[in-house]
Amino acid sequence: MKKYQVKDIIKHYNSLKVLEDVSIEFDEYKTTCILGPSGCGKTTLLNIIAGIIDKDSGQITGFKGKDMSFVFQEDRLIEWKNVKDNISFVLKHKMDKSQIETTINRYLKLVNLEEYKYYYPKNLSGGMRQRISILRAFAHPSSILIMDEPFKSLDINSKQIVTEFFKKLMIMQNRTCILVTHEIEEALNLGDKIVILSERPARVKKVIENTFISSKSKADKIIIRRQIENELIGNLSKCNPSVLLQKSHR
Amino acid sequence: MKDYILKDKKLSILSKLIIIGMWILLSKIIDNEVIFPTIKSTFISLIDIVKNSDFLNIIISSLLRSLIGFLISLFLAIITGILSSVSKIIYNLMMPILNFLSSVPTMAIIILALIWLDSEYAPMFIGFIMVFPILYETVLKGILSVNSKIITMAQLYNVGKITVIKDIYIPSILLNLSLVFTSSLGINLKMVIAGEALSQPRFAIGSSLQLQKMYLNTSGVFAWIIIILLISKIFKFIVELIKRNLKINRWK
Repeated sequence: MKKYQVKDIIKHYNSLKVLEDVSIEFDEYKTTCILGPSGCGKTTLLNIIAGIIDKDSGQITGFKGKDMSFVFQEDRLIEWKNVKDNISFVLKHKMDKSQIETTINRYLKLVNLEEYKYYYPKNLSGGMRQRISILRAFAHPSSILIMDEPFKSLDINSKQIVTEFFKKLMIMQNRTCILVTHEIEEALNLGDKIVILSERPARVKKVIENTFISSKSKADKIIIRRQIENELIGNLSKCNPSVLLQKSHR
Repeated sequence: MKDYILKDKKLSILSKLIIIGMWILLSKIIDNEVIFPTIKSTFISLIDIVKNSDFLNIIISSLLRSLIGFLISLFLAIITGILSSVSKIIYNLMMPILNFLSSVPTMAIIILALIWLDSEYAPMFIGFIMVFPILYETVLKGILSVNSKIITMAQLYNVGKITVIKDIYIPSILLNLSLVFTSSLGINLKMVIAGEALSQPRFAIGSSLQLQKMYLNTSGVFAWIIIILLISKIFKFIVELIKRNLKINRWK
């Protein structure tokens, strides 16, 4: 199995150390969830992988020259473009007009959203907008999909719908996916592998193979959830002992 | 919504009726054609003006002055707006020019324009100094208001710079310009006519207005005001038609 890898990544913002010797292996065609408290440096790590910002030191293997797709916390749709044009915006440099048209039609059909082809973002709900943003990422020909807390700004109902939408697309169009989240449930439901990061400066605390994804066993889910919670409570206790007390009383 | 629009139309008609009513009433009370002409005498003057063999020449000349001036303002505003958004030096160079145009009394600049320029060009320049700052700031706002997150998204997806300019920056500039287009076109026309009244080119609405004033023909002045209002309305209608055809606001 081909591996994508980051090794011993260190990053400072002025004197503030954000990432400390972060090493992660990302399995091809699998979803790796990076789980950690808010503000620990998860997005910084994604930006380094995406090539937006430079690392101070460390190695990145397998990502160079690879096409990547992105889903952000916000949908980042262009308001004056309809669904078709929003998707075609990221495809223009990749294919000609007829190919773009065919690709968009194929993807919209794949997820039964053909009727929304000429809708403008303003006429779509938050959940639907994020679904289009995910569809745009899948329609863009790439081997790696980077997602930065894509379900964060959605309400509970939309979150469930959009999560299912993403899972469906992942089954149909498999990609190597790196998903950053701070929600345990999201990591449990989507990640083949869960990487837990510590408080800032972020270090890899634990890597868990999420057997629940293949087994669908409730027992597996409970065990893995406990492992994650133990690691995260360890994190929280450092910054706020009262949270630890509340958690252990539950 | 429909009720609201109907109510709006009714109110608009009502306000126009009130203005006409007040006109009739005032002209009756004042009872002096030189100070406040009646509707009838204004209408007669209007027919006289339209029947005049130079009428079309006058209208076309003023409209050309206004349009050429406006297009020059628009062109320069787009160029300087784009340059200001990419270069701090040009942005800072533009700042004192704009401050000068907004703080120095318009009349002072008009007088300078009359001294420096030919009577044909002075009205265009006067329109330009009023409209250029509005258009420049609109273009700059259109560029600076583009969501940086959308630009980052485009960079991450390796979208070409030309596509980004064509699909994000130009629509944003056009959207912002479309909001001020009608009003700035109106301001430009008014300023060009004011300039014409002072510089007195041969064929011009402003010169004609001045001529009517010299003969104390107030009904003629009123008639020209009506013609200017009609031209403004036609301008507005054309702009709306262009906006609708270009479907600029269809996503709103």
